[in-house]
Amino acid sequence: MASILQVKHLKVSFRTSSGTVKAVRDISFDLERGKTLAVVGESGSGKSVTSKAILGILAGNSIVEGGEILYDGKDLLKISEEEMCKVRGDKISMIFQDPLSSLNPIVKIGRQITEAMLLKNKGNRKAARKDFNNTLALLKQAMIAAQGQDSAAKVEEMVKTFDTFCIEGIKLENSYNQAADVAESIISHTEDFLFAAGKKRVDVKAELREVSDKLKRLKDPFLTKGYDEKIAHMAAQLDQLRVGYREPAKKKGEETVFQLPQEIRTALEQVEAELKQMMEQTRPNFFRIGYYKLKNPNENLTAKPVEQLNEEALKCLDSNFMLEFRSMVEQGLRHSFQTALEKKQAVLPQLEELKVFYTTGELEKGSAHSRAKAANALVQDSIDKLEIVKDSAAYTFGMALENTIDRYFMAKVRNPQEEERYAKQSAKREALIAKGKTVDWKVVPKTVYDLDEMKGDIVRVVDNLIERYQAYIAAAGEVDFAARTVELIDYFKLKASQVVNVVTKTMARERAIKLMEEVGIPEPRIRYNQYPFEFSGGMRQRIVIAIALAADPDILICDEPTTALDVTIQAQILELINRLKEERNLSVIFITHDLGVVANMADDIAVMYAGKVVEYGTVEDIFYDPRHPYTWALLASMPDLDTKEKLDAIPGTPPNMVYPPVGDAFADRNKYAMKIDFEQQPPEFEVSPTHWAATWLLHPDAPKVEPPKIITDRIARMRKAEGENA
Amino acid sequence: MSNHDNQEVLLKVEHLCQYFKMGDSELKAVDDVSFEIHKGEVFGLVGESGCGKTTTGRSIIKIYDITSGSIYFKGQRICAGTRSYTDEIARCRKQLKALGSGDAAKKAELEQRIATAREEMRKAKYDHKHSDAEYAATLVEKIQQEYAPKLESAKGDSAKLAALKKQMAEEIRIARKSKLITNIQMIFQDPIASLDPRMTVREIIAEGLVINGIRDKEYIDQKVYEILETVGLVREHAGRYPHEFSGGQRQRIGIARAVIMNPDLLIADEPISALDVSIQAQVINLLNDLREKLGLTILFIAHDLSVVKYFSDRIGVMHFGKMVELASSEELFAHPMHPYTKSLLSAIPLPDPRSEKKRVRITYNPLAEHDYSVDKPSLREISPGHFVHCNDAEEKAYREELGL
Repeated sequence: MASILQVKHLKVSFRTSSGTVKAVRDISFDLERGKTLAVVGESGSGKSVTSKAILGILAGNSIVEGGEILYDGKDLLKISEEEMCKVRGDKISMIFQDPLSSLNPIVKIGRQITEAMLLKNKGNRKAARKDFNNTLALLKQAMIAAQGQDSAAKVEEMVKTFDTFCIEGIKLENSYNQAADVAESIISHTEDFLFAAGKKRVDVKAELREVSDKLKRLKDPFLTKGYDEKIAHMAAQLDQLRVGYREPAKKKGEETVFQLPQEIRTALEQVEAELKQMMEQTRPNFFRIGYYKLKNPNENLTAKPVEQLNEEALKCLDSNFMLEFRSMVEQGLRHSFQTALEKKQAVLPQLEELKVFYTTGELEKGSAHSRAKAANALVQDSIDKLEIVKDSAAYTFGMALENTIDRYFMAKVRNPQEEERYAKQSAKREALIAKGKTVDWKVVPKTVYDLDEMKGDIVRVVDNLIERYQAYIAAAGEVDFAARTVELIDYFKLKASQVVNVVTKTMARERAIKLMEEVGIPEPRIRYNQYPFEFSGGMRQRIVIAIALAADPDILICDEPTTALDVTIQAQILELINRLKEERNLSVIFITHDLGVVANMADDIAVMYAGKVVEYGTVEDIFYDPRHPYTWALLASMPDLDTKEKLDAIPGTPPNMVYPPVGDAFADRNKYAMKIDFEQQPPEFEVSPTHWAATWLLHPDAPKVEPPKIITDRIARMRKAEGENA
Repeated sequence: MSNHDNQEVLLKVEHLCQYFKMGDSELKAVDDVSFEIHKGEVFGLVGESGCGKTTTGRSIIKIYDITSGSIYFKGQRICAGTRSYTDEIARCRKQLKALGSGDAAKKAELEQRIATAREEMRKAKYDHKHSDAEYAATLVEKIQQEYAPKLESAKGDSAKLAALKKQMAEEIRIARKSKLITNIQMIFQDPIASLDPRMTVREIIAEGLVINGIRDKEYIDQKVYEILETVGLVREHAGRYPHEFSGGQRQRIGIARAVIMNPDLLIADEPISALDVSIQAQVINLLNDLREKLGLTILFIAHDLSVVKYFSDRIGVMHFGKMVELASSEELFAHPMHPYTKSLLSAIPLPDPRSEKKRVRITYNPLAEHDYSVDKPSLREISPGHFVHCNDAEEKAYREELGL
């Protein structure tokens, strides 16, 4: 499984008047595509800070002290705000805890949902064109290199053809899709109207006008082929009916059931039936047709039946162009891969050398930077640019290296200054106290960085890349170039469709209504024009989810989405998130303090305490075989339906993170704490390949302890229940 | 921790209706709800948000004037609504009008009914308004009786007599101010919103005592310190402000404020919903301790069913202002009868991933489940202590389901 998002050694702290609060202290995890990672812990354990760091929305007084968040070849901690804008909300979306405070109270919810679609569209088109052109240029280079200089002209020609027909075809497709959207909206709109008309008073004239307007707009050479006359006729008929329609007079004080005139009902039903029939036609394959059109510019494409056109276009494309082009692309890819591989092999010893350089001896600023630059140039050169799944470690190598080096030298300068300041202030304070004065201010605690640890950070960046490269070289024999070719061509198609994809306001509206239906909001057409205060809690949360999904993200971060809701609504929202995850292959980071919710949602669980992950494992590991005392405490403090005995509340409160404890942060509240827990931080002890916990209890020399009875009982009960079911 | 044997009724709610005006129409937040709470038990009230469980709690403590029905506390009617009587009168008047000049016997009967309803309404209004005054009067009488022999014996000694008289006057003053309703206290959901940020903890906790006319500062301080220690805080906390505390501590302050009045009944309106998991356990344990120590009766309103099951002796399930099922907590979870209860139970998330992934949620659609067009439903006792809102046909089906 490929991980889509990697968080590595993230450290975040906040400057406050009482000192630096270390909110997140060195956490790492991987999020896999299509999986849910649950982050569990008390408030103040740093779970929300982690998610905010991923989105780049940390508060102003935060300092990212180190680490990387790798996504799609970028380090989200180091890219500029402008680049971050392209990721935030578009690729990574977030659902916040309180639905009311994340909606704008004075903007109708329809506009709030469509906002992201409209804003993103323009930027996306430009970016897609750039991606398309860049990748095509790289491909051209690789192909020429693979075929030799002689065939350069031919390659040039073919790439140009590909470019032209790809875009042409997608343009046709786009117009088809837009028309299909309109048709679909007419169908669903009419259905809604006919349903509502029997129940309450409706505005018949407005409805007829809207449907006929939409019908007049409905025109596409492929979609409405053979239906154009019918559509025009139906539109005219609706207009006529509209002119002839008279509102039934309303008598005072009399409630009459509203009846829709039969001829209007029939006309609308006919529209619905005709359009449904039209939508069931075979869909033309526009990628092929684009080429066909390029070859036969004068032919009337719409004259032939769609099936026949599809067939002929495929034959034309394959025999004249595609087979040859595909084999050439494959060769190009192979060539590009080989060159990259050779370069990588050549770069490896240099990286080893670099590692030694950073590990041994005193670092000197100038040489450290120049070595980093030189190494980065080599590394960037060794990247296979035609890879679609980008290797983040290589792309961000230079930046990460520079960053850690900068930090190291900054700390080197800062540390003595900080020491001096601290000594001065303390001396002043003591002098004042000695004089017998009352001192009403405190000495700001000193923040001294550990230089060895910072050096370790530099080395780790290099180490990380070396590991990646070794793995890459080891797997070199297994690359399937045919599959990669298909992937690459699909990538071009995707980018081309993004280039021509224009989202207008009406389209965005239809899409938003569809989305609202998808998240389970009844009567979306009416709801679209309402304000947030007109919705109940569960409905508001659904709208927030719809907004988060509007830009079609890869990753969804849910920050306690159901904490404010009651059981039935909570169950509905969780089911909804699970369903959307399946349908859209979303990766979800689910933050909560309720372990009951997690059992249903998560694939993996990270239990956080005081800014650290204390236990990590699959959902079954954590619930059936918990190892860390904090996980025990969390599990024991919530009653389930069979709990009778007194609850094991966790005594006390989480530690003050201005002065993080020396040893295990949980030691103070832990009844299993040993002496070493107060002195040294526990390392991560592996329980199974998918499960580890940071507690000294797992050390071979530690005394054997049993989890609290309440948990062992529950696990026994769960196992028994399962045995009965099986 | 059950108190089933104790059948003394502390609070009785009869046909409680609470309607709110919404423009021309009325919102029936609570519609004909009846239940009893026995002394020493924890009565859980569950349901979705908007089902009227909080409104029920607030109506009991007279935050709203109820529309119809009566609430008895310690045998005395403390709240009464008049809607049912006005409806009755209107109905009778309409029939009278329809009768015209015929049938004198029927007419007389109707007029008699109107008179009874009027009388009842007058009583209800009186009770609603004067229940506290009556309670105060009984208290005063009690004190006077208590002091009568003492005064008699101290007749010769004028200094002692004066001291006794002063003491009595002071006690009577406090008794005159005391209200029956102060024996019911409430804990609110959001500890931050329910504490005044500009008052110290001492002021917050002592406010009830001060309002009740106690002027002895030392006594108040003593009482505040005592109560702080009871709820697991320390006396140094008395001088601080609410914002200096964590969520769990704030909720403890809220509990202290309620408990200092020495109430018989505590209404806990979602006291743990806004808290962290570990803190939730602390607060539940605290409430359990207090209940044992002070012999409290608790009306526990919540939507987290696992907690309600853990904490309550009996549970009432509400849906759209109606009580749909009422039973002891074991019975309710073992044999849920009403389809809404079943759907609610099926939505509880459990800390067991394997069964969780297999869990099927039952949806409840009242229109599809029940046919109440002819046969009207009411709350009926299916088995001893187990009440379900159903009609005749359903009652039969439920009984069969239980094997009765």
